[in-house]
Amino acid sequence: MSRFTRRSFLQTTGLAAAALASPLGASSIIRSAQAAGTVKLGCLFSSSGTMANIEGRLNHVVRMAADEINAKGGVNGRTIEVAVSDPASDWPLYAQIGKQMLEQDKVAALFGCWTSVSRKSVLPVVEQANGLLFYPLHFEGDENSKNVVYVNSPPASSVLPAVDYLMSEDGVSAKRFFMLGSDYVWPRTINKQLKGYWKSKGISESAWKEEYVPLGFSNFQTLVNQIRAFADQGGGKPIVVLTVVGSSIPDFLREFANQGIKATDVPVLGLDMVEADLEGLNTEPLVGHLNCWAYLQNAKGDANAKFLKQWADYVKTKNVPFKADVAIDPMVSAYDAVHLWAMAAAKANSFDVPEVRKAFAGLSFDCPSGYKIQMTAENNYASRGVFIGSVNEKQGFDVLWQSKDAPKPVPFSPYS
Amino acid sequence: MRRLFLILLFLSAAVGSSTAAELDRAELIDRLCGDAAALGEAGRSLMGVAAEGSTADRAWAAPIARAMMDRKLTCDGAGAVAITADGSRDALSGAPRTAAESGRSPLLSLKNRSVFEMADAALALRSSSDLGRRAAALRTLERQAVTLPELLFESAAAEESDPVLRAQISAVAEAAALNSVDPAKRIAALQRIAATPDRRALAKVGPLTKDPAYAADPAFKGAVDATVRKIERGIKIGDVLATLYNGLSFASILFMAAIGLAVIFGLMGVINLAQGELIMIGAYATWLVQEALQRFAPALTEYYLIIAAPVAFLVTATIGIALEAVLLRHLYRRPLMSLLATWAVSLFLINIVRVTFGTQNLNLVTPFYVTGGVPVIGDFIFTWNRMFAIAFAAVTLGLTWSLIRLTPLGLNIRAVTQNRTMAGCIGIPVRRVDMLAFGLGSGLAGLAGLALAPIYSVNPQMGQNFIIDSFMVVVLGGVGTIVGTVVAALGIGQVNVLIEPLWGAVAAKVIVLLMIIAFLQWRPEGLFAIKGRRK
Repeated sequence: MSRFTRRSFLQTTGLAAAALASPLGASSIIRSAQAAGTVKLGCLFSSSGTMANIEGRLNHVVRMAADEINAKGGVNGRTIEVAVSDPASDWPLYAQIGKQMLEQDKVAALFGCWTSVSRKSVLPVVEQANGLLFYPLHFEGDENSKNVVYVNSPPASSVLPAVDYLMSEDGVSAKRFFMLGSDYVWPRTINKQLKGYWKSKGISESAWKEEYVPLGFSNFQTLVNQIRAFADQGGGKPIVVLTVVGSSIPDFLREFANQGIKATDVPVLGLDMVEADLEGLNTEPLVGHLNCWAYLQNAKGDANAKFLKQWADYVKTKNVPFKADVAIDPMVSAYDAVHLWAMAAAKANSFDVPEVRKAFAGLSFDCPSGYKIQMTAENNYASRGVFIGSVNEKQGFDVLWQSKDAPKPVPFSPYS
Repeated sequence: MRRLFLILLFLSAAVGSSTAAELDRAELIDRLCGDAAALGEAGRSLMGVAAEGSTADRAWAAPIARAMMDRKLTCDGAGAVAITADGSRDALSGAPRTAAESGRSPLLSLKNRSVFEMADAALALRSSSDLGRRAAALRTLERQAVTLPELLFESAAAEESDPVLRAQISAVAEAAALNSVDPAKRIAALQRIAATPDRRALAKVGPLTKDPAYAADPAFKGAVDATVRKIERGIKIGDVLATLYNGLSFASILFMAAIGLAVIFGLMGVINLAQGELIMIGAYATWLVQEALQRFAPALTEYYLIIAAPVAFLVTATIGIALEAVLLRHLYRRPLMSLLATWAVSLFLINIVRVTFGTQNLNLVTPFYVTGGVPVIGDFIFTWNRMFAIAFAAVTLGLTWSLIRLTPLGLNIRAVTQNRTMAGCIGIPVRRVDMLAFGLGSGLAGLAGLALAPIYSVNPQMGQNFIIDSFMVVVLGGVGTIVGTVVAALGIGQVNVLIEPLWGAVAAKVIVLLMIIAFLQWRPEGLFAIKGRRK
């Protein structure tokens, strides 16, 4: 053994421990201050791993909404305190941290998850502890837990209207569909429902094709070749229904544009595509591609202007490492979620989950999207408006179409 | 009623005589500010202007079609304002004016967008003074040539001053005459179409076998059959080339990610888990160079990918050398410990970058030489960003090979790789060689980051995707051989690309991994094992 051994061992393990502690440690050390007169909310959004770029900003939105409510005197005479964690895009870790927050930190409600796989992993935890999880993403539906509040839309009020639009005369009269998704529950369920929907419309099975890629996949060359071959076969207007998530979205779009396919040839309907995914891309060759959400940054109305200003100010004053001029649907949904929770807690005059849950019925809130979001006693879903956005050259989305009012949410799809 | 009137008006304009029907400009502006249906009509009348409008009308309409495409036309109470190359002007009169605050910019739906895309290209083809712009417009028009008025191409060809472009316009016009009444024109069109054999052409020609003329006219039948055969052959060749190209481009990425690791792992047996993060830092260094150029030498910004090469190399090489000197040299005898330590370093680097730059994807300018691609044959498109990665990998391979084979440092590195103790005995400064080799391997990772920047998103996590793939390449290739790394990268890349269309990308990953495991059972040393005594 050389004389370096012990010292170097200590040095390196020390450094290793320090480095290890920085991302993982932050997740387990949930900043807590047991001040009297506070009520705690927990955040389950990753600030590392493949979802970091889009999920990370939701932590700050929850804080911003809590600050707003605190400035008006808090809820039931208590101020809100937000506990932030980092599940590191590691799905089982969401459940672990969620459990810790519910049982040790006694949070009144959890706000979290982006991918459905992370929600599914937290689900048993919140059900067992009888907690509340506010889920701010539009998703595949087919789930109705009394412990989850689905703040965003199920497919019947997000994906289907968009696909309908593309299939209509006003859209592009789409006849053929290439489904490309990341390989997990959300894309597979959405595509299953879409196939059921098309079957119900009498479209034959030869009109679609389904491909999946691993999460975090980035080499889309061969797949874009396949899409071109599919599109050039003739037989009606083709579209791509894109359900890849995270960093795969910009990588796909880049390859798509580089192979010279324009939105007028083969439009892409990106179901998880948000403004933040276009950061860093040259969107000029991508103009015209579509997405569908319950909120778009270009939504008209004072509520939106107010929200955008609030976010910009928050970013500036708190020095948040995200763009001040980019707002995405899940941010607004998380913002709505905090307000919905606060309204319900105030109405129930309690922070007890069963009491708060009872108070959901009949709540309504003026969402920045310009629609009034409402909840009924039937389920834990909120009714939201529907937007179809079209990529513009400024890395954002223009509002191409929006629903007249907020449709009533249908949790279980008849097409799956 | 109004709609009916508009349609009648439009029809009369479209059917209109060859004596350049007078364009009602005010009416057109009105429709541009109307609903989606009116917008579509406006787009079609713009196409009518392009085909048979007067020179003055075309010159007036061209910037308006462009402004619509860019969403730079604003409708307000007093008409419409278009922002064109000469500033903000009233769409009707051309007088400078700015739009009212309350103005509304009509957004093209996808359906109208393709109408305006064609109208804009047609107008550019007829009235742009820039040859490049006219050629680009022709390429856009070619996609839907069959649906466009024949007169458009005829007049454009007659007026075109550039002989090459004129010939191209005639060729497109000829190909567009596929459904003409004249059989000779149809056969000529078939031959033109056969010149670009891709699936789109096949979709056009394929249905002709059901055409009445196919049964009636043997000459036409012969032409159709020959064209279909030629196109099918072209598609096959194109598909083979595309597969090879895709495989090569994936291989170049794998190679770039793995070559640095091959040097480090081969020489010192250190499993460097921070290699992916060094790639990421190389990409960030590239971005910093771009930012610096934008500030201090904007003219050179387009060339940042080339200028950044030495910077990316030096930055990561410095980090590598520091890493080796501070940390790894104390752990050479304990591979597990060095593995943990480099993993810690990788987490450390990710978080440093996250805190400094944020988690968002970096905005890297896409220079002209890595934008788009050229169709070659069939459906094979030669994309420049992939070509850049391939060329970059080839140059890196050349330089690394010369360094290892032809320089004294390379000789030392090879000697230490083969037998560390003996190399030390004959006076090679083993420690210094270690340090320099580690620097070299890290620098190569930095270059990989640069090569990947135009293809993948640059963010703090980007490196994590590469570490497993690059280990696969190094282990399969045989530890420490450049040739092994090259062959293994080519093999894995090609096999992946072959499997992907058959069983999907998920299965491709699994199958490749299984194949490597099976292969290593048979040859644990990898493809190209270094002969001689191992440490």
